[in-house]
Amino acid sequence: MNTTTATHQHDSRCLDLFKKLSEYIDQELDEVTCKQIEQHLENCSPCRACLETLKTTAGLCHRIEEASVPTSLSNRLKKMIFELTY
Amino acid sequence: MATSPRKSSTENNINDTELVQAIQVGRIDLYQELVSRYERKLYNFGLRMCRNTSDAEDLVQDTFLNVFKYLKSFRHEAKFKNWLYKIAASICIKKRRQRKYAPEQTLSLADFSSRDETEMAKGPPRWTNIPLDQLLNEELAEMLSDTIHALPEKYRIVAVLRDVEGFTTTETAKILDITPANVKVRLHRARLFLRDKLKDYFEHDHSYPST
Repeated sequence: MNTTTATHQHDSRCLDLFKKLSEYIDQELDEVTCKQIEQHLENCSPCRACLETLKTTAGLCHRIEEASVPTSLSNRLKKMIFELTY
Repeated sequence: MATSPRKSSTENNINDTELVQAIQVGRIDLYQELVSRYERKLYNFGLRMCRNTSDAEDLVQDTFLNVFKYLKSFRHEAKFKNWLYKIAASICIKKRRQRKYAPEQTLSLADFSSRDETEMAKGPPRWTNIPLDQLLNEELAEMLSDTIHALPEKYRIVAVLRDVEGFTTTETAKILDITPANVKVRLHRARLFLRDKLKDYFEHDHSYPST
């Protein structure tokens, strides 16, 4: 398995890791599993690529800017609150 | 854009729990403050979940109507914010069920893994080395938003709650009434789906800042 060449083929260890990558990014795995993954990543370039692309994806989602509340909605909410509370 | 009315120092200084408790014992004049705190967050949640601004506005209004209706029975067992999103999420899901039935697409892990096998052999692509704030320009943000909309709803709602809104796995599971394991599975597939679109985007001549 531990090849970094273009002929890399996922074996069962790669596939097992592939399923757990998001949990690894989110630090939701136990220490033993994390160590196993880190050892595997040291020698497996495609799995490292998968990890880094996933990390970037999650990070970008978290940084999408929020839109402002449009005046139309703000007015609707004010009217609703007035009707509910008076 | 809308502006908030001037707030009293009391409104500014109390946390959500205190604010909700005050409303529950009769200070309904403070409901406006509760709405002001969350209208923008909820509107953006609506924009991610619905396909247009009008539906997003409806979602916000329906959510705050339900919050007002059921606030007396809120027992503070969860954070108010989580309860609010639980109401908003259930409205989203209900609305989808009311629309014409179309079976939802399921994302298969095997499709993503076989693609990775052939495309990732050279290691992490260059765009993963660029700081996120430099990478995320207006065009990419728009493409990412469109791609989030393209996710089947059951994956989209998890990706939005976890990766956009920042809820934990446990919180997301409680908001959606599903197991934490289910949240993890859906999130992973949603991220792989979004990641594949990002890969396509960067591989097709879209410029990005150099490191």
